[in-house]
Amino acid sequence: MEPKTSTPSDQADSALVIDGVYKGYYSGAAHVSVIEDVSLVAPRGQFVTVIGPSGCGKTTLLRIVAGLLDVERGTVSIFGESVRRASAAKHIGLVPQSPALLPWRTVLDNVRLPLQVNKKPDSDGSRSHADPTAVLKSFGLGRVVNRRPAQLSGGMQHRVAIARAFVFDPPILLMDEPFAAVDELTREMLRHELLSIWQANKKTVLFVTHSISEAILLSDVVVIMSSNPGTIQKVIPVGLPRPRDDLVENTKEFHELERQIRLELRDSWRGAK
Amino acid sequence: MSELPGSGLDERTNAHSGLPALEPAAATTPRGRTMPAWTRPSLWLPPVVAFALLAVGWQLYAMHNPFVIPTIPKIFHELTSHSGLYFRNAMTTLKEALVGAALGMGIAFLLAVVMSYVRIVERAVLPLAVILNVTPIIAIAPALVVAFGFGPTPKYIITAVLVFFPFLINSLTGLRSADPLALDVLKTLNASRTEILWRLRLPSSLPFLCAGARICVPLSLIGAVVAEFVAAGQTNGLGTVIVAAASLSDLPTIYASVVILAIMGIALFVIVVLVQRRLLAWHSSATPTN
Repeated sequence: MEPKTSTPSDQADSALVIDGVYKGYYSGAAHVSVIEDVSLVAPRGQFVTVIGPSGCGKTTLLRIVAGLLDVERGTVSIFGESVRRASAAKHIGLVPQSPALLPWRTVLDNVRLPLQVNKKPDSDGSRSHADPTAVLKSFGLGRVVNRRPAQLSGGMQHRVAIARAFVFDPPILLMDEPFAAVDELTREMLRHELLSIWQANKKTVLFVTHSISEAILLSDVVVIMSSNPGTIQKVIPVGLPRPRDDLVENTKEFHELERQIRLELRDSWRGAK
Repeated sequence: MSELPGSGLDERTNAHSGLPALEPAAATTPRGRTMPAWTRPSLWLPPVVAFALLAVGWQLYAMHNPFVIPTIPKIFHELTSHSGLYFRNAMTTLKEALVGAALGMGIAFLLAVVMSYVRIVERAVLPLAVILNVTPIIAIAPALVVAFGFGPTPKYIITAVLVFFPFLINSLTGLRSADPLALDVLKTLNASRTEILWRLRLPSSLPFLCAGARICVPLSLIGAVVAEFVAAGQTNGLGTVIVAAASLSDLPTIYASVVILAIMGIALFVIVVLVQRRLLAWHSSATPTN
């Protein structure tokens, strides 16, 4: 499922460029800014995690990159293209906060959904997408392909949602706190599964989370946001070697990064107050 | 989710989901064979007893007050001795009800699709629909008879108008009920409006459309009968039979017609529920308790 080299990335080194983005809203007559002057560059194949206090604009930023919100100022480009064109070319895979599976479809049909809409980019033959059944098997869901979402556990539903984002082989994945609603054990399992799948595919990922350990375990770079208004406070590179497993969480380097991010978040939280 | 061999897990799990059943979905015989839920006396006995008590009460009252309500044997005799007449008139009323319901529900649904996409149409049409809903439709029925004559057209229109509003509101709510995060996923894929309607909004609206049909299909029968009451000179339909019988103080004929209408209402409701179960196997409203 390696993205084809014919994507527009040939024209630009960076997979994702966010440049001076500003977004606000009107509350009565007053204009409130949600995020202000946010700039970020993610090279191809990088796993970028955005972490910050509630209301710092993490999800707003992700929705802007997904093309679900327009910016007031600044630009966002994905492989050198506008978000609109990237979306039209099916270059963006979204994994929302809840699995958002269609309850009337079986697991297999849910995963097929991205292949059934906006078929134009698929028909020009420039990209390969995996067989949905094979993708489900690789996610450990081979035995439940014909079940409906309501018949699966919460953890399995999240795996289906991730499989749905992988099936059409988008070069960039946007994940908005995808494991926030599951229990701690399932969450740990899902993190490690995502890690091993990502290591095999190396897609560019923009991942939003509240969890510091999740951010360190998964990412190449952790972006810390502060609120009122939402700005990028610090970008911390995670130099831990890959492939990573659960043992990495016991290392000195991991704990040091954890301490550093916690201190930054504390500052960001104090600033917000 | 894996089943342990010989653990008997399969007996304690819901046959549909494979998940542990919170409540037994089916009664179990001593031999362990499962029986359909409706065979349990706790489900069918209470309504049967209530119905029997009502029938006994009716019969006792009718025997002492023959000019208020007819006895059950008299109604039964009326039905069997003129079965052809009742069948013919019932078919007329049924046709009026179904054509009117299809017309009203169809227009309401199409309008709801347009309204769900174009806010300005909703703002324009919804107040008019509310006015139509709060107006006692019986008030315009004589005018419709003047305009369209004694044929079936005024009956179709009255029935359609009666079912229009509840189905419009249900369709509109249903089309808007799609999971916003699933909508985000489709928008990120640059799915077209038609694709979003077909793949997400329409299936999401099905529980609401079925709930609307459960209200509107039996309501259409009321619409057809009321329309027949008003359209003086009409020669067919159970509403007309009732009006004619009332002018002759013929109570058995009136109640025989009401019995037929009740049976038709129950049949239509059951058909709607069966279609709903088929369409909504994935939805919680399709469970037998509903």
